[in-house]
Amino acid sequence: MEQIGNMIGWETVKMVVGLVGVLVFVVLNALILTWAERKVAGHMQRRIGPKEVGPYGLIQPIADALKLLGKEILTPREVDKPLYYLAPMIIFVPVLVSFVVIPFDASLQVMDINVGILVILAFSSLSVFSILMAGWGSNNKYALIGAIRSIAQNIAYEIPLLLALLPIIMMTNSFSLKSIVEAQHGLWFVVYQPFAFLIYFIAGVAETNRTPFDLPEAESELVAGYHTEYSGMRFALFFLAEYTNIFIVSAIAVTFFLGGYQGPFLPGIIWFLLKSYLLVFVIMWLRWTYPRVRFDQLLNISWKALIPLSFINLLITGGLLKL
Amino acid sequence: MTASPSAFIKGAGSLIAGLGVTIKAFFQPVVTSQYPRQLLNISPRFRSHTKLVADRDNPEKNGCIACGICVRNCPSGSIKKVEGEKREGEKRKTATSYLLDFTTCSQCGICVETCPSAALDFSADFNLAGFKREDFHFDLVKEFEKRKKTS
Amino acid sequence: MVERIKAELGATLKETPVGEADYRERGYHLFAEVASADLLNVARFFDERGFYLAALICVDYKEYLELVYIFSNHASLCKVKITLKIDPAKPVAPTISTVFDCAYWHEREIREFFGVSFDGHPNMTYLFLHEGIDFYPLRKEKIPVSDEDKKALGAFRPGEGEDTFFVNLGPQHPSTHGVLRVVLKMDGEYIQSADPVLGYLHRMHEKMAENRSYLQFLPNTGRMDYLGPMAFNLGYVTAVERLCGIPVPDRANYVRVILTELNRLSSHLMWLGAYLADLGALTPFLFVFDDREEINDILEPVTGSRLTYCYFRFGGLYNDVDDAFVAGTRAFIERLRSRFSLYEKLVGGNVIFTNRTRGIGVITKERARKQAVSGPVLRGAGIPMDIRKSEPCAAYGEMDFDVPVGTRGDALDMYQVRIREMENALNIIEQALARLPEGPIMTEKAPRKLKPPKGDLYHTVETPRGELGIYIVSDESDKPYRMKWRVPSFSNLMIFPELAKGNLLADAVAILGSLDLVIPEIDR
Repeated sequence: MEQIGNMIGWETVKMVVGLVGVLVFVVLNALILTWAERKVAGHMQRRIGPKEVGPYGLIQPIADALKLLGKEILTPREVDKPLYYLAPMIIFVPVLVSFVVIPFDASLQVMDINVGILVILAFSSLSVFSILMAGWGSNNKYALIGAIRSIAQNIAYEIPLLLALLPIIMMTNSFSLKSIVEAQHGLWFVVYQPFAFLIYFIAGVAETNRTPFDLPEAESELVAGYHTEYSGMRFALFFLAEYTNIFIVSAIAVTFFLGGYQGPFLPGIIWFLLKSYLLVFVIMWLRWTYPRVRFDQLLNISWKALIPLSFINLLITGGLLKL
Repeated sequence: MTASPSAFIKGAGSLIAGLGVTIKAFFQPVVTSQYPRQLLNISPRFRSHTKLVADRDNPEKNGCIACGICVRNCPSGSIKKVEGEKREGEKRKTATSYLLDFTTCSQCGICVETCPSAALDFSADFNLAGFKREDFHFDLVKEFEKRKKTS
Repeated sequence: MVERIKAELGATLKETPVGEADYRERGYHLFAEVASADLLNVARFFDERGFYLAALICVDYKEYLELVYIFSNHASLCKVKITLKIDPAKPVAPTISTVFDCAYWHEREIREFFGVSFDGHPNMTYLFLHEGIDFYPLRKEKIPVSDEDKKALGAFRPGEGEDTFFVNLGPQHPSTHGVLRVVLKMDGEYIQSADPVLGYLHRMHEKMAENRSYLQFLPNTGRMDYLGPMAFNLGYVTAVERLCGIPVPDRANYVRVILTELNRLSSHLMWLGAYLADLGALTPFLFVFDDREEINDILEPVTGSRLTYCYFRFGGLYNDVDDAFVAGTRAFIERLRSRFSLYEKLVGGNVIFTNRTRGIGVITKERARKQAVSGPVLRGAGIPMDIRKSEPCAAYGEMDFDVPVGTRGDALDMYQVRIREMENALNIIEQALARLPEGPIMTEKAPRKLKPPKGDLYHTVETPRGELGIYIVSDESDKPYRMKWRVPSFSNLMIFPELAKGNLLADAVAILGSLDLVIPEIDR
């Protein structure tokens, strides 16, 4: 064992084990979230949600996955084949990379890169490519409209996302996620930066295309978004990516503002998961309460409200730090 | 977003109020009834397909006298044929076959209302299901005999 | 007002006399028969005096075809019937769609059902019967459609343009308007033109009416608007009672009012849920169905049905209501009153909702009059007209309620008008329950075989969507000679193309939702 470890290098082994763990977690997370979404939606609408398949409907996500796997894989004739096939695969790359740097516990982090948050932000911008490939490659005007809207929304909300995280980075003088969590030993950063938390949260919800910002995939309008032409397993991949993104947004919010894995009595990972899933619940809560924001109002919120506010927040933080 | 601060605060307040409604609903009991595990109570006036009622004087036979008024009055032509025969010692005919095509019935109640011998009434059969149209072509006389046997 | 119009109309039409009709029997105050050349002048005459075209009907009297124009007024009750006789061999008439925009679709419908061609009409193509017709449906004899007619009718081709593309809104909708298809010509995100395509749910109720007796047609009325069937039932039953002169006992009248108002509540609640589902909030839909189920649970023990009721009869009701109904309705009123604050918090006050609906789809009073919109859309535009107040039937005359009016005419106003109408409906039900008299529910004077006297009648009723007009022509037999249903959604939909022009697609969906359309009643 030691020899294998010395040959390959412990770091590599740790990386491989971590990646496998991350993949398992991603799949489990998607299963849990689809179930939780339907249950939360049901109870908020005074009904039960899935209950037939297994106790409390717990096996429902497995039934859904089996259904999606069993569907015929239709490829429309006129699609642009390389783009069409690659898009659902590429959308997973930023997701997996983001998981590499998130600290689940003090010792449960696949790799603590010292520019951790930059890695996450950079790779999440890459998901724009996947959306564009899906929309253009589908050779469908509705998909293209949906994709263009989605990209505009994504780009518009990335800026307040970053600007809301900058005050924290300024305060801790580091990009590494681990040190940001450790710096919240005394008091969580949400106390110092409540507005940054709100701005980050709103921008995060918009990044994941969730209601009230889900016009690109509006169900009750005529365009079904950039994944119109996908069915079966390919559609499931887009779906999975969306749910995983929700978790990542919550996880980063927890890491930056809510103390990460720190908390009394229980092991760190339990606290981390508890806090993350609480924020995921809030995101679902928002979905089932509000109507959709119209597209131009959506962009207005970002460019005219969130970005100026986050700049002001940044300036005040910088000023206060200097004093 | 050139909104005044007061409009901004009012807007934010309305968003919080909306959240309050849904979270309150989250913890309240469900209002759905879990059919088919929970049975529903059907009101006595519920209008499903019609059924023949027993004759007032002689509960062994149905009250239909095969006059054909319901056949003529049905707006959808759902009552296909009513045949009857005059039995020994009876003043009026008794129905031997009453063919109802329930797939075109609109439950208007004209047949029930205009029947001169008050022989028709609505049944409460609310969970009818079948694989073919013919499953809903009822012969009300046969249904009456079936009900007589089971009661 | 009636005298003044009679005098002025008499002065305008010098040769033809203006007759006075008994409003209680006929539903209109004045009538006149004009010649083809005078029609446009008469239309302009009424336009200048602030009338609107309530209905445009064609009746086939075998020796001649008669076009019936009913003009009505928002401000005070004055209905005028103008008739125009046309030669059946060569049916041509001038169009009045240049003066009254709402005639545009009425004339198209008459073109396709009767074969009457209108000079000067910009678009005489199929409205309902897109598969093509071989005979004109509503003519009394089988008159075949000539080949040039078929070509002219099927000539609708939306024109292509630079940088524009077509998008179909429907006919399969995730939101529950019904089967409506709107062909939108889009320039990027903005709509250049919107053309509704109708006829997906066309069942030809008007022809069915000519082949069934009055009683046999009663179930059909509930199927025309299945969200507000009580009002359609009420309109039909009161129309026939008015035509035949059948009195109705008081208890029946009060019960009719209570049930119609419960149905109005049910319809407005459904609109609320569907509108919010259009805008993306799926939770209010479920809350609304909770309330609707309560209403259905009250109405089911009384009428026996949950969606399409066939409960009213000529001269009264099918059977009586009992104390359980009264107690259940009272409990429901209390419950729904407390739910209004929930809807206000979740929907009405929500800043996202108000931003989506404020300033969207503004209807001015002038456009509302020209397009003959009615109901909450008209009241939202600012005109305080409610047929329950101006022409009350059943026991509405004894009820005390106000008429909510909007100020801006946008979608938010429509929402608020409907919420206030719901509150009014609760008040009306309370008043009617308090005053519910004892007594019979069916009059003794109901004739066994219903044979109305010869004549015609235009009867109006306020449904949850607006003014329902029923025009019955009776020829003393037990089947109606002609029955025309002037449905409110037909006229309300006509204003959509001009409202949608130049707007974003998301706004078009919001506008369409605010008009509260029910397609089966448009298609009949």
